[in-house]
Amino acid sequence: MAKTASPAAASAGVRTRRQGGFGLRFVRDFALNKYLYLMMLPVVLYYAVFHYAPMYGALIAFKDYTPIKGIIGSDWVGLANFKDFFSSYYFWRILKNTVLISFYTLLFGFPAPIVLALLLNEVRSRYFKSFAQTVSYIPHFISLVVICGMIVSFTNNDGVINNLLTHFGYDGQAMLQKPGLFRPIYVLSEIWQKIGWESIIYIAALTGIDQEQYEAARMDGASRLKQMWYITLPGIMPTIAIMFILRMGNLLNIGFEKIILLYNSVTYETADVIASFVYRKGLLEFGWSYSSAVGLFNSVVNLLLLIAANRLTRKLSSSSLW
Amino acid sequence: MRREFGLFDTLLGWFIHALLLVLVIVTLYPLFYVAFASFSDAGRLVAHRGFLYAPLGFSLEAYAGVFKNPGILTGYRNTLFILVFGVAVNLIVTALGAYVLSRKNVLWNNFFMIVIVLTMFFSGGLIPLYLIVKGVGLIDSLWSTIIPFAVNTFNLIIMRTAFQAVPDSLEESAKIDGANHWTILMRIIVPLSMPVIAVMILYYAVEKWNGWFYAAIFIKDHKLYPLQLILREILISNSTESMATDASNADRFQIGETIKYATIMVATVPILCVYPFVQKYFVKGVMVGALKG
Amino acid sequence: MRKKLIPVLAAALALSGLTAACSSGGKSEQPSAGGSKDAPAAAAGTTSAAVTYPLKTDKTLTYWAELTGNLTGVKGSLEEVPFFQEWQKQTGVPLKFTTIPATKGKEQLTVMLATGDLPDLIEFDWAKGFPGGPEKAIKDGYILKLNDLLAKNAPNLMKYLKEHPEVDKMVKTDNGSYYVFPFIRGDDYLKVFQGPIIRKDWLDELGLPVPETIDDWYTALKAFKEKKGATAAISFVGQPRPLNDFTNGAFAGAFGVTKDFYLDNGTIKFGPMEPGYKDFLATFRKWYAEGLLDKNIATVDTKAMDANFANNATGATVGNAGGGIGRWQPIVQGKDPKAVLIGAPYPVLKKGDIAPFGQKDFAYSTAGAVAISAKSKNAELAVKMLDYGYTEAGHMLFNFGKEGVSYKMDNGYPRYTDLLMKNPDKLAPSQAMGLYIRGNYNGPFVQDKRYIEQYLALQTQRDAVATWQKTDVDKHQLPPITPTPEESTEFAKIMNDVNTLVDEMTLKIILGAESLDSFDAYVNKMKSLKIARALEIEKAALDRYNKR
Repeated sequence: MAKTASPAAASAGVRTRRQGGFGLRFVRDFALNKYLYLMMLPVVLYYAVFHYAPMYGALIAFKDYTPIKGIIGSDWVGLANFKDFFSSYYFWRILKNTVLISFYTLLFGFPAPIVLALLLNEVRSRYFKSFAQTVSYIPHFISLVVICGMIVSFTNNDGVINNLLTHFGYDGQAMLQKPGLFRPIYVLSEIWQKIGWESIIYIAALTGIDQEQYEAARMDGASRLKQMWYITLPGIMPTIAIMFILRMGNLLNIGFEKIILLYNSVTYETADVIASFVYRKGLLEFGWSYSSAVGLFNSVVNLLLLIAANRLTRKLSSSSLW
Repeated sequence: MRREFGLFDTLLGWFIHALLLVLVIVTLYPLFYVAFASFSDAGRLVAHRGFLYAPLGFSLEAYAGVFKNPGILTGYRNTLFILVFGVAVNLIVTALGAYVLSRKNVLWNNFFMIVIVLTMFFSGGLIPLYLIVKGVGLIDSLWSTIIPFAVNTFNLIIMRTAFQAVPDSLEESAKIDGANHWTILMRIIVPLSMPVIAVMILYYAVEKWNGWFYAAIFIKDHKLYPLQLILREILISNSTESMATDASNADRFQIGETIKYATIMVATVPILCVYPFVQKYFVKGVMVGALKG
Repeated sequence: MRKKLIPVLAAALALSGLTAACSSGGKSEQPSAGGSKDAPAAAAGTTSAAVTYPLKTDKTLTYWAELTGNLTGVKGSLEEVPFFQEWQKQTGVPLKFTTIPATKGKEQLTVMLATGDLPDLIEFDWAKGFPGGPEKAIKDGYILKLNDLLAKNAPNLMKYLKEHPEVDKMVKTDNGSYYVFPFIRGDDYLKVFQGPIIRKDWLDELGLPVPETIDDWYTALKAFKEKKGATAAISFVGQPRPLNDFTNGAFAGAFGVTKDFYLDNGTIKFGPMEPGYKDFLATFRKWYAEGLLDKNIATVDTKAMDANFANNATGATVGNAGGGIGRWQPIVQGKDPKAVLIGAPYPVLKKGDIAPFGQKDFAYSTAGAVAISAKSKNAELAVKMLDYGYTEAGHMLFNFGKEGVSYKMDNGYPRYTDLLMKNPDKLAPSQAMGLYIRGNYNGPFVQDKRYIEQYLALQTQRDAVATWQKTDVDKHQLPPITPTPEESTEFAKIMNDVNTLVDEMTLKIILGAESLDSFDAYVNKMKSLKIARALEIEKAALDRYNKR
């Protein structure tokens, strides 16, 4: 099942044929694959027109953008926007918070849907299974504003969670007023909202596992845990690997909406992230160039993380993007 | 069929069920909350704090408030258009790309892959995109929410991974039978990847259903507004913000609170119904069956 | 995934919609500054040829504007709105509208400016919404400097400005350029709409007078808590910034400071770094510790405030006459028929003092101002057309609509008809008004006091406005000064960091997370964030303003 290794192998293959010279290889490849290239045409066109053609817009990170002069015509300011950002009084704090929140969300949020998919896989009753599946992905659809409204009211000083915890000696202060609790609340609610939705892809991947392997394992008397560990998990490993790579490539992109709906100035020290900082800045000034510089910084870090993750998974599981 | 499992396995089974049951309750609550709130009496909802176990009173006023907006029907129609044609375009283009990128021995594939992945990180922002969309003449057309978003890179990569997982042996035998790429894609790869394609349909459908940001930029004609934009209008017009200095509107703002939840119901329930159809394809052993059949 | 890559700012702008949707957004208006007392600048303009309306023209002007939030869901575009139809009829100038959905103006403007297709008329908050300010908008070639055109073709606006030099000063830039047809609040009564609110029935029941001093407030709140079971005796909306409304100087004003810049004997000061702010924090810290101040103070949004009032948990706050008293009165009454909310005076330290600060809007309220695009070929016609709003007939049209339809004359008093106040189609008054008049939001005209008199339905609301007017804010408020385009970025950068710090300090000290003495450390941090430079920029801007 897990035969995803090939692109790497394929490129290695290409490399060994290098003696033919680039031109020759090109001609040979084109002759062999011309229909494939034809099929690729819409995709190439799409990316060229709607992604690469507008990409010159990223230049505004290095410019002082004014609409009337346009992106090309605006004055160059070099790295001034980046310097502004890096030299900001709060730079280290928001960087630290961004990294920590991202990290915790990855650490707990990434495995959660996999565990859910594995658990669902063990359920024998078809009805309960499809019911549980359908229900678990619902919170994904409820708007963030409402979800955060619930979180706030549950964690208030007279909220449900607080009432529960006072039995265990919690002091009953509104939880979102405690800097130390912000990250746990953020990560847990993230899992609550996303677990079902993110498990769908793993559930789909589970269907590809050869059922005969389970039969054989059962014949050998393997326990359910063992089956899970030795058959199910390896069966969905390529999907896990790809999801992990993509996730890493998105690591620092913490949505600012949720942060600003949950944080307040008491919790800035643990909650203020790059996106919320730029948002507050945007309220005061119209910094297209600045926010695009910050975005570019984010993207570069993310890209590096993705490349690292790609290498890692290629070594560990032989699945990778390229 | 069932064999005797050990005591441990039985306990594990119970444990798993219990755990999932808790999860079901916890994740079902937001929907219940929204549903209850949407049917609640506006005045009582405003006064309420904490858990909702049932609607506070019963009132359909909020729904009346939502559906009296003349834009709702055209909104549904436009969204349906975007959904049907959008998802079709998405699937076709994504599948073609995923197929090509999943082939081995294609010289440019690694290059393509990198080029595509880069777009997840670098974009030109809103204004250049607007100019391009304007340049190709899509402004004020529903297609402006379809064509410029024909492929979601994330989905393309997932689909490619799934296509790569189809055993080579099947393709080889098809090739020997003289099948061309199109036949291999349609007759072998797609049927064997149905679970993932179902997921893609779901992902794209939800994306189209929920999308409003670009529609708000690219579409100016009110008659072409998709549902989500109409709903945002309703929300904003009933929000307290727009009534901040309003004295005689007390009733209206209280209803505004329930209308918020009614719009979420109107916006969410239809798309929730897609999942059961998608779920049909999540049956174990599809592949094995296909192989044998 | 791609959505997240839009520059955050684009999303930030979209969020104005989000906060609206969650009804937690800040409702506070901008702080204020009264008319300055300096010598009137001579209004430009000599007498010009009288214009008679309707004008005769075969040209059509293009008009770009945001639809008022009151009409979202009622009408889709401006040409369908009766007011705009009547306006075209009375001026004789046909308009072709581009309607922008409510709250989307800033975003759409940027896109429009980038594409370069500018209409003749652009209605926007040019003073505050355009980066770099109006002078930059003129310099960059978006909008026209109107001085000559106004002098020749806008006798009515120029007449008003000549008679009101303090307004004239506000609507000009530092360089003396006119750039828009402004929205002007025609009376002080229209400028004050916010202040402390308290449960009168509780006070009466407990035999307490309406609190005037901070000590009175303490007594009253303590009684609310102990005798009325109010668990959050006083509470404030804390979104998006904690104690939002204190920028106007509520409560903090008793200690001689606001949460923002203000004037003290002609010098500009920044409240949160003055010793008075420390005293204010000490008071609120005590109130919080004693359970008078809402325990959830950091997370309170409008929804939570509603629930607080509805559950008799709260007996006092700071709010608006319309969106506050008008909103909560029915809620408290629903629980307790005797309940009455009234406006209380801004607190002071010594009985008999007059509060130095209070909310007061400027006469020139910057939103809804119409500029003429630099590309317009019909600028002269546009000026004549826009000047109509400042004529006698135009004044009536904008404030009251069409006689016999939306108002009737009643002994010389224009009274709104039931079409507006009790709309047969069940539209709320604000929505019905949005259809026929512009008096309840903004536009190129002078707002009439008689609008708000009819609009504030409750006697307590009208009394509250009268109570809140009694402050010395005119002496202490900064006029609407503007940094130069060059300085504005620097200023914004400093203030972004400083405000973050101020918000953090304020809440942490009040909640007891940090000691009162940490105030001094915070002030030092503010200094290292170059607050001195921000004060310098403000001072220079004030000097330029005074020289206008």
